[in-house]
Amino acid sequence: MSKETQMRAAINQKLIEMGERERLKELLRAKLIECGWRDQLKALCKEVIKEKGLENVTVEDLVAGVTPKGRALVPDSVKKELLQRIRAFLAQQST
Amino acid sequence: PPIADLENTISKNSDVVSVMSPAGCSHVNGFKVDNWKQNLRLIYQCFVWSGSVETRKRKAKSCICHLCGAHLNRLHSCLHCVFFGCFSKKHIHEHAKNKRHNLAIDLLYGGIYCFVCQDYIYDKDMEQIAKEEQRKAWKLQGRSPLLLCIGEKYSMWEPTKRELELLRHNPKRRKITANCTIGLRGLINLGNTCFMNCIVQALTHTPLLRDFFLSDRHKCEMQSNSCLVCEMSQLFQEFYSGHRSPHIPFRLLHLVWTHARHLAGYEQQDAHEFLIAALDVLHRHCKDDNGKKANNPNHCSCIIDQIFTGGLQSDVTCQVCHGVSTTIDPFWDISLDLPGSSTPFWPLSPGSDGSVVNGDSHPSGATTLTDCLRRFTRPEHLGSSAKIKCSGCHSYQESTKQLTMKRLPIVACFHLKRFEHSAKLRRKITTYVSFPLELDMTPFMASSKESRMNGQYQQPVDSYSLFAVVNHQGTLESGHYTTFIRQHKDQWFKCDDAIITKASIKDVLDSEGYLLFYHKQFLEYE
Repeated sequence: MSKETQMRAAINQKLIEMGERERLKELLRAKLIECGWRDQLKALCKEVIKEKGLENVTVEDLVAGVTPKGRALVPDSVKKELLQRIRAFLAQQST
Repeated sequence: PPIADLENTISKNSDVVSVMSPAGCSHVNGFKVDNWKQNLRLIYQCFVWSGSVETRKRKAKSCICHLCGAHLNRLHSCLHCVFFGCFSKKHIHEHAKNKRHNLAIDLLYGGIYCFVCQDYIYDKDMEQIAKEEQRKAWKLQGRSPLLLCIGEKYSMWEPTKRELELLRHNPKRRKITANCTIGLRGLINLGNTCFMNCIVQALTHTPLLRDFFLSDRHKCEMQSNSCLVCEMSQLFQEFYSGHRSPHIPFRLLHLVWTHARHLAGYEQQDAHEFLIAALDVLHRHCKDDNGKKANNPNHCSCIIDQIFTGGLQSDVTCQVCHGVSTTIDPFWDISLDLPGSSTPFWPLSPGSDGSVVNGDSHPSGATTLTDCLRRFTRPEHLGSSAKIKCSGCHSYQESTKQLTMKRLPIVACFHLKRFEHSAKLRRKITTYVSFPLELDMTPFMASSKESRMNGQYQQPVDSYSLFAVVNHQGTLESGHYTTFIRQHKDQWFKCDDAIITKASIKDVLDSEGYLLFYHKQFLEYE
């Protein structure tokens, strides 16, 4: 594993241990709803379902059809805020 | 409507064998053996929704892919053995194929994946366990500022089988539009019973009380048929049924006579007395089914207490040692003295002359509700004839007493004391008191008093909105009660026994006012 992957794993571990990961998830959920991202994704999902048909569509179809666009649609402000919070959390942990 | 679509889909699919229906797939049967429920719970608790510190530590350490060590990539856990694998990199798929382990669980969201069906499946039993474990973990998370203090995550309503059945058998739907009159219904006067009718109108239009009863939250445990709460429930059903003919509340009247003897008889009674008596009986009858939960008899958790009970703080300050003795008493209403009564009333607003004013016109210096509240919460010298034993001085000393609101109820009821029953005279005080549509209670809170003493600025957060006004017309001997109620945000109606008419906001605010009902604007979680 590269140094970067190792560090990622360590940070992730700490986040989970302190329950911060859950809190960040909730914050992210609220932000993504606020900025309308969830509604945009809902619309994208509906398109995939129409394409594949309600009876045949699988979760994989949705994931494949929606992930790239979904990732791109996350506003920079949300990413920034999450990053800031993770940084603050790590700073707190080292003291 | 979406329910119809769902039902069509279900019925179309019911004759296909290995079907992708909400009922799940047949491949879980191999898993559902022995102690599977407990095993599944453990997996949720340890690896999906970790509530406690130990499980979180374990999750942090062990939740990595057994093939590549990554913790991202939609990690799944095999349900048949201890194996974690990435979904995106197909590591879990490899494992499933090699070991013929058909089921895996998504560690992010708790979904169950079936490798035979090649999709996530929704087995009713497993879903039930998932929901319970999620709720448990949620409660353990504690006071995170983001999770607020609800203790329960919001989940959408899903109709049960029974509810679907009921919906199908009762296809008529009632739509609440901005102008609909549902909830408005007249009440027949059964002989001077307007004192009861006016209060019923106020209660049936109290939003939280309405929601409580219309969602069938009362579970009656009284053996006899004399539960007043059940009767209220019935009353709400009648009011929101859509029937336009006036309702005849004979059962309610009978129950009131049974439980509040002092109100029995066909004489005119005081509406305020009826309100207190009704709240008391409802509270007692509610307590019967909350009795097990209420460990403190003074702090009941029944709906009446939740909505109407506030705390009144009384501070008695010794004039010698300045020690303060504080007591807090529960209250359902605030009774306010008026100018012109035999109790001394100091005019507090500039220009107010404190004289009795009759009729519709009100001079700009008219007494306001806020004036009355200011008087109610002002420090009062108890005088040399009413010395209080001071625990600091160990002797009887003169003191001042001050009332403030420690805790405001969700519905604040103000009672303007218009009926004077002193030894020398019995009369009605018709002084006009102006009251607002929106009332800020912040200045009268105990916390505000403390802030003011510490020189801090108090943020106005205790904002209340008027939603019902009970008026009395006539004299002490013969009079009539009517109620103004708020139907939608800005629509008011006058309820005069069986007759309901539209009213303007001006009509409401110009009225004399006897009982004023205010509803808190912003509700907090416990």
